[in-house]
Amino acid sequence: MPFHLYFLRRLLFVIPTLLGITALAFIIANAIPADPVVANLPQSVLNNKEVVDAFRAKWGLDRPPIEQYFTYLGNLLQGDLGTSIRSRNPVAQDLAAFFPATFELATYGIIFGILFGVGFGVISAIWRNSIIDYVLRTFSLIGVSFPVFLLALVGLSIFYVQLGWVGGPGRLSVRLPEPPMVTGWFTVDALLAGQWNVFSNAFSRIILPSLILASFVSGIIARITRSSLLNVLSLDYVRTARSKGLRERGAIWRHALPNAMIPVVTVIGLSYSNLLTGAVLTEQIFAWPGIGRYMFRASTSYDFPAIMGGSMVIAAIYVGVNFVVDILYYFLDPRIRFA
Amino acid sequence: MKGSRLRLMLLLILVLALSAVGVRAQEEQVLVVGHRESTDFYDPARGYTQTTGIVLRSVYETLVTFPDADTSAIVPALATDWSVSEDGLTWTLNLRSDAVFSSGSPVTAEDVAFSFNRVKNVGGSPAGSPAVANMASATAVDADTVEIKLNAVDPAFLVGLTSNWFAVSEAAVVRANGGTDAADAATTDVAGDYLDQNSAGSGPYMLESWDKTVQTVLVRNPNYVGTAPYFDRIIIQNLEPAAQQAALAAGEIDIALDLTSDQMAGFNADEVSIYRGPGNLIHFILMNNDPAIGGPVSNPLVQQAVRLALDYDGYKTLWGGVQPAANLAIGIAGALPESAALSRDVEAARALMAEAGYADGFEITMDYWDTTFQGVNLNTNAQKIAADLAEIGITVNLSPGEIGPKLEAYRAGTQAFGLWFWGPDINDPSDFLAFLPGGKVATERAKWPVEGVAQDVLDMIEAARSELDEARRLELYGELQLFNQQNSPFAPFNQPDIQTAFRADLQGYVWHPVWLVNLSLLSRA
Amino acid sequence: MGFARRNPLVVFGLLVVILWIALALLAPIIAPYDPQKQDVMLSLEPPSPDYPFGNDELGRDMLSRVLYGGRSTIPAGLVVVLIGSLIGTFVGAIAGYLGGLWDEIMMRLTELVMAFPTIILALAITAALGPSIRTAIIALVIVWWPSYARVVRSLVLEAKSQDYVEAMRAVGATGPYILFRTILPNCISPAIILATLDIGTAILTFAGLSFLGLGPEPSSPEWGRMVSAGVNLFDQWWTWLFPGLGIAILVLAFNFIGDGLRDLLDPRLRNR
Repeated sequence: MPFHLYFLRRLLFVIPTLLGITALAFIIANAIPADPVVANLPQSVLNNKEVVDAFRAKWGLDRPPIEQYFTYLGNLLQGDLGTSIRSRNPVAQDLAAFFPATFELATYGIIFGILFGVGFGVISAIWRNSIIDYVLRTFSLIGVSFPVFLLALVGLSIFYVQLGWVGGPGRLSVRLPEPPMVTGWFTVDALLAGQWNVFSNAFSRIILPSLILASFVSGIIARITRSSLLNVLSLDYVRTARSKGLRERGAIWRHALPNAMIPVVTVIGLSYSNLLTGAVLTEQIFAWPGIGRYMFRASTSYDFPAIMGGSMVIAAIYVGVNFVVDILYYFLDPRIRFA
Repeated sequence: MKGSRLRLMLLLILVLALSAVGVRAQEEQVLVVGHRESTDFYDPARGYTQTTGIVLRSVYETLVTFPDADTSAIVPALATDWSVSEDGLTWTLNLRSDAVFSSGSPVTAEDVAFSFNRVKNVGGSPAGSPAVANMASATAVDADTVEIKLNAVDPAFLVGLTSNWFAVSEAAVVRANGGTDAADAATTDVAGDYLDQNSAGSGPYMLESWDKTVQTVLVRNPNYVGTAPYFDRIIIQNLEPAAQQAALAAGEIDIALDLTSDQMAGFNADEVSIYRGPGNLIHFILMNNDPAIGGPVSNPLVQQAVRLALDYDGYKTLWGGVQPAANLAIGIAGALPESAALSRDVEAARALMAEAGYADGFEITMDYWDTTFQGVNLNTNAQKIAADLAEIGITVNLSPGEIGPKLEAYRAGTQAFGLWFWGPDINDPSDFLAFLPGGKVATERAKWPVEGVAQDVLDMIEAARSELDEARRLELYGELQLFNQQNSPFAPFNQPDIQTAFRADLQGYVWHPVWLVNLSLLSRA
Repeated sequence: MGFARRNPLVVFGLLVVILWIALALLAPIIAPYDPQKQDVMLSLEPPSPDYPFGNDELGRDMLSRVLYGGRSTIPAGLVVVLIGSLIGTFVGAIAGYLGGLWDEIMMRLTELVMAFPTIILALAITAALGPSIRTAIIALVIVWWPSYARVVRSLVLEAKSQDYVEAMRAVGATGPYILFRTILPNCISPAIILATLDIGTAILTFAGLSFLGLGPEPSSPEWGRMVSAGVNLFDQWWTWLFPGLGIAILVLAFNFIGDGLRDLLDPRLRNR
C-alpha cells in the first residue's frame, strides 16, 4: 500500500473516534445533576440576566440535548471549549498554559524509560535465564508494582529532604524568573537564554519526577523488549543468519533488533500517551503545574467546562500519539508496505 | 567558516546580554510567602477570606487602623481626625491631604464615598458585615471631608472602619473598568474581574497578578507616601503544607503560614524561626436549623447533644490553644473566659439524643474544606469529630472538598452539617452578632430564624448592638454567649494557637489579630 | 516440587498473596487494637514495642490499620477485574458472534473508552457521582471492560470458523445455544488468565484513586488513603511507609504470579 493511501486510511479512522470522544464528554457532563448555568457561571454574575441569557444562547441550553451537542461541536470547532469556573479563563487558554509542563515531564520520563527499558530488555534477552536476567526482570517488576505515590514520597524524603541531591516540588524555584518563553520547556528555554542557574534549578526539579514516571514505563518496555527479542531470535531467518556464521551479537544488532522493535514501538507510543495524559498522581505530589494536576483540581471543584474540555483534549492527544505510532509502523513493518 | 564564527560571536554576546538581564532581575528584593490560598476575590467589595485580607492590607488603606502589633487603640490612617454627632448617627472624618493612589492621583473624599457606597451596593459578602450593613450612606462634604450616616448607633463603628471592606479605592479607575456605586451595583458592577488582577489603592504595594490557585504577585507602589517597604516584590505562592515545609527548609520560601507543629518539629533552629502565640480563629460545627436541610441536626436537643459530646480537651492536645465559650474569640473584649466553656458530658448527650427521639442515633454527612489552615489540619479534626459523635450514636460521613464548592454551599445556606473556622470580621464583641438570631451566619448559613426566639433575647441583642456604656455592653454580650452555648445551631470547639515558621533572617514579623500579618513590615537582615 | 524449583518467583508470589489475604481476613482477630480507636495522647508516636508501626495523627494504631487496609483494597481490585471481565466477555462475545454493524459499534465504543486515560475518566465520573468506594469501583469498571471485550471478540471470531461450530449448526443448534454453550466455554480460560494478570494493576489503580481522595472516606483504613494522609507528614515516615509497602508488596506478588503464568503459557518461550 502506498504511503499516502495508508496515511489517509489511518486518518479516516481517527475522525469517528474524535467525534465519539466529544459525545462521551458531553454525555458525562450532562449526566451531572446540576444546572449548567449555576455550575458554569461565577456566583457574582448569576443575578445578571444579560450574562445568563447570553450564556444560555451561546450553548443552546434552551434547546433539546441533540441540538445542544451540535452547538457544542460548533463552538468546539472554533476552538471554544468554554470558560473554566475556577480560573475564569477560557479552558483552551488554561490547557495551553498547563500543557508545556506536562509535555516536558512526560518527554523526560519517556526518554529515561526507553533508555532503561530497552537497555534492560536487550541485556535480559542476550543473557536469558542468567542471574543478571533475573535481577533485571525483578527490577522491572518492582518498577511496575510500586505505587508511584510511594516511590515519590520515598524519593522526596531521601533525595530531597535528607540528601538534598535533587530539587523540591514545582518546576522552578519561585525566586528565579521563568526563562523567556520559546518552547515552554524550562530546561530548554533556560539553555537557549544562557541562564545556567535557571537551567540547573529546573533540571534538578524534573529529574526525580521523571525518573519515577520512567520506573513504571521502563518496566513495561523492558518486558516487551525481552520477549519480542527472544521471539525474533527464534525465527528462521535469524537462525539462518547465525548458521551462516554471523557472530551472535552481530545477529542481534543487525537482524533481530529492528524486527523486534515493532511491538516495542507500540508500547512506547502507548506509554508516552499515558504519560502525556495521565500522570495525575506524580504531578499532584510534585506540585507540577501540568494537565494532570489541572484536571484533578477541576474535578474536585466541579469545574465542568474544564473537566469536559480537558478530558477531550487529553483524549485527542492520546488518539494523536497513537496515530503517529500507526504511521511509524508503515516504516517499521514491511508487511504493511507490501500488503 | 568566517560567517559561522561571526554567528557564534553574536550568539555569545546575546547569551551574555540575556544573563546580565537575568542577574539584574534577581537583585530586586523578593519576599516569597508559602500559603494555602483561600482567596475568593481581591475586589475589596467582594473579597472576604483570610488570604484576601492579607493581600488587601498591603494594597489598600483604610481611614483608621490599629497599631502594628495589637488592637489597643484606633489610630489615624487616611483620616487624620474624626467626630460624631450628638445622636451618634453621623460621623465626620477629615482626610490627610498628601495621600495618593498608586496612579499618582490624590485620595479624595469622593473616592472614599464611592468605595463605601460601592461595597454596600455590590452586595457581596462584605456587605453583610454589621458595620457595612449599618451604614446608611457616605458622602463627600468637600475634597477632604467625608460624612457617614448610620442606621443605628454603633459603638464599634470605628473598629469596623479598620476592616478591609472599608478600603479606599480610586473611583476613576474602578469606574473606568465597569465599577459603579449606584444602588443597582449588585447587577451592574462588573469591575470584579479587573480588581482581581489589578489594584486601585494607596497602600505600599500594588497587585500585579493573581494566577488563581498558583500565586499572587505584589509589587512596590512607587507613589506610596508612607515609609517605603523593604521588599520590591512579594510572591504569595499557593503551596500545600507539605510543600511549604520542604520549601521553607530549603530556603525557597521566606515564610510558611500553614504548618502544623508536627511539621515544624524537624526544622533547624539556626535556619528557621518559629512564632507561637494565641490565635483568634474559632473552629466550629454548623448545624442547619432548617429541618428540610439539616434533618436531625436541626433539632435543638440534638444540637446541644453534639456540643456535649465533643472531646474538647482532645482538640487542645492536638492544636494547643483554648476552648472558646461561644463563637466569640477569647482575646476580644467581652469574650467569656475558657472557664465558662462547656465540658464534655457523654451521658447527658446520650440522654438528650434519646429525648429528641434519636436513641438509636442517625447518619449525617459533614462537609469541610480539605486543607491545613494556619497549622490546623481540618481532615484530622473531621475524623475526630466523627469519632466523638459516634459515641452518642451519630454516624458522620465525611465529605472533604475544595474551598470553592464548599464555601458556595455554606454561603447559600444549603449545607446540613459543616465544619468551618471563623476569624473575627471585627475585633470587637459585635463580631458575635453574626452568630446570634438575626445575624448573618445564624440567618443565612444556619437558617436559624428569629421567629421562635424569646423576645427578651431579641431585646438583649438589640441593646448590645447599640449600648454605649462599655461595661453594660460587655455584660450583655456575656449573657448572649451563655444563651448561644445552650441554644444555637453552632458547636465551637477549639481556638488554636497561631504558629508561623519563617527563615531566621526575616525581620519584622508580627502576628496581628485582624490582618494576620502585615507583609509590608517585613525585611531581611 | 519441580514446579516450585523452576518457578520460585511464582511460588513466592502465591505465598505472599495467600498471606496477605489471610491477614486481611483475620485482621479482626490478630489486629492488636481497633483500627478506628483514637487516642490523641498518642498522636504521631513513632514505632514502639506496644505499637510496632507507630501511631497516626489521631493516635490510631498503624499496625492494626495496615492489617485492616487489605479488607477494602483487595476486594475492590478483585471486584473491578471480575465485573470488568464479565461485562467485557459478554460484550466481546456478542460483538464477535453477531459481527457486522453490531461488531463495528461495539469495537468503536471500546476504542473510545480506551482513549480516555483511566484516571482522567475516573476523575470525571467521580465529579459526577461524588467520591466513595462504590464510585471508584464503577469508574474503574467502566475503563476496565474494553480490553476484555477485544480479546474475547477475537477469540470468538476464531472459534466461529472452527469445524465443531459448523457441525453444531448443521445439526440445527440455534445461535444463542452455540454461543453460550459451545463457543464461550472455549474462550473462558484465556479471559481468566488475562484477569489474573490484571488484578495487580487494578489494585494499584484503585489505591491511586483512593490516594487522590476519590475512593473511601478519610477515616477509613484503606492503604492508598492512609498514604495520602501521610503526605503532610514527611518526617513521620511510619504514617505512610507501612501502608505504601502493603500495596507494593501485594502488587509485586501478583505480578510475580502473572509473569510466571505468561512464561508457562507462551509455548515458544517455555523450554528456553
